[in-house]
Amino acid sequence: MSFLFGQRPQPSSAEKIAAAEAEIEMVSNMFNQLVDTCTKKCIPPQYREADLNKGESVCLDRCVAKFFEVNVKVSEKMQGEAAQKGGAGGAGGGMFGQ
Amino acid sequence: MSGMDMLSQAEQRELQGRMEKKQMKDFMNMYSNLVQRCFNDCVTDFTSKSLLGKEEGCVMRCVDKFLKSSERLGERFQEQNAAMAQQGGMGVGR
Repeated sequence: MSFLFGQRPQPSSAEKIAAAEAEIEMVSNMFNQLVDTCTKKCIPPQYREADLNKGESVCLDRCVAKFFEVNVKVSEKMQGEAAQKGGAGGAGGGMFGQ
Repeated sequence: MSGMDMLSQAEQRELQGRMEKKQMKDFMNMYSNLVQRCFNDCVTDFTSKSLLGKEEGCVMRCVDKFLKSSERLGERFQEQNAAMAQQGGMGVGR
């Protein structure tokens, strides 16, 4: 994890668990947002049939790819801005730069 | 996931317990979202107390469609995650 500031005591058990939990939570939240957004954008609310048609399937695939790309671009930009603002940037960058 | 490797057995068990609780919570959330979405999209007629045949059919198709979408999105999500982890990237790891 991010032991960024040089000498630091080993994290306690609770800290390690909390960190792992936070990471999982972040991924899980991202997935939930993705599902919400992409189903709204790609699945029209008519529900004429139970299966996904080709158009909807392709839309969902592209939606995921773009969502990730946006995620990366936003975090790169924010890292850039944080770095510009100096020392505090280390912590912000450390969060993403695994 | 880098964090996981450094946990002892006991810590992993604790984490596992928390994850199960979280999964349960997530499932309940998904369920209530789904009910709301399918109700909003399918149920429009209030001249009677019970669901019309077409409304019921719509709801069934809505649930099917949503679950299939979630499944597909989950697959793509894992692929993208794996691809990013390979690029030495972002720590949105699994």
